[in-house]
Amino acid sequence: MVNITINGKLVQAYEDEMLLTAIRRENIDIPALCHHEAVEPYGACRLCMVEITKDEWDGWKNHVTSCLYPVEEGLIVNTHTPTVIELRKTILDLFLAGSPRSTVIRKLAAEYGVTKTSYEEVPDGTDCILCGLCTRVCDKMGFSAISAVNRGHGKEIAPPLNEPPPDCVGCLSCAYICPTRYIKFTDDGKTRKIWGRKFKLLHCEKTGQPTITEEFARYLVKNRQIPEDYFKINDLSHRKELALKMGEITQWGREE
Amino acid sequence: MRSRLIVNPNLCTGCRTCELACSFTHSVAGKPGLSRIYPLDGGFKDLFVPVVCLQCEDPACARSCLVDAITRNPETGAMELDDKKCVRCQACVSACPFGCSLFDRVNNLVVKCDLCGGDPACAHFCPTKALEYKPIVPKALKSAG
Repeated sequence: MVNITINGKLVQAYEDEMLLTAIRRENIDIPALCHHEAVEPYGACRLCMVEITKDEWDGWKNHVTSCLYPVEEGLIVNTHTPTVIELRKTILDLFLAGSPRSTVIRKLAAEYGVTKTSYEEVPDGTDCILCGLCTRVCDKMGFSAISAVNRGHGKEIAPPLNEPPPDCVGCLSCAYICPTRYIKFTDDGKTRKIWGRKFKLLHCEKTGQPTITEEFARYLVKNRQIPEDYFKINDLSHRKELALKMGEITQWGREE
Repeated sequence: MRSRLIVNPNLCTGCRTCELACSFTHSVAGKPGLSRIYPLDGGFKDLFVPVVCLQCEDPACARSCLVDAITRNPETGAMELDDKKCVRCQACVSACPFGCSLFDRVNNLVVKCDLCGGDPACAHFCPTKALEYKPIVPKALKSAG
């Protein structure tokens, strides 16, 4: 365990963990758009900026992204100093210029008192802030179906060659994890469409309810050794089967 | 000795108190959560079976989780789902052969039984002791039959 001070309160943090995790455990709300516990920290959005110092630093201070800064013994962290707030305001100002129509960005900026960008709005600005969370989750899950393409102004998240991605399984994790809900998909209970590719959904043999996509089930059978027939029925039918089987067991050894 | 959640269907009356207890214990921001335990028809007259996660030795849910969000709690032995890590791909919901990993559409969460961290509410509230949380000793096994 490591002793650190967050906003004047002495707390203990686990070794090797990042500052953001320790700060959030103390229920201190600091914004972060590109952070998710499922993937490695990345430091793309810069919103989790905090001020750090140490007693032996003779009054020197530093501003760091807490998601990428490992905890250290004796670290003194301040999460809401005027400078930190000013830094976050500037970042949100820039986000507002790049994604002027994003409701998530606008709400967050309004919380910090930024209602209009002081820069020129990007005319065709999308809600995508290029934080790379979707591609990192896709990589972590082992698909790597999407990635960042082009550079500078033309940078965007897209499948290879902008064609329906062959490695995608339609799990929708990218759409769920997207902090600005930019990734769109459609799901009508029979087919699912994301990144321009269509996926057929599996259906429960008993209730007809849709479950996951065929491609995803095939991936789990092949790479995670899940027996194929587990995917034949949905969770409700599985539970009913279990109840009937356990019901049978209660009758064992009973005289008729 | 580690305690287990012992289900005795012969004592279950199907009153669904466990469902209520579970749902309110796992409420999210004031909204009742989806229950992780269901008394279902056992196929015989007046027989109800409370179906709950079996905390398998080699769990399909953990094997199917591609972001390692489901891990075993060494203290309780329960397979616990870390909601902060979960990416809602619902692989575990489809992969569990007992259907005990569920998707809560109201709160948009994947949920499964975590034995309430070692003090299951369902066992507390069960009026007929069809659900009990206690260490397994050979004697207890015998009297449960």
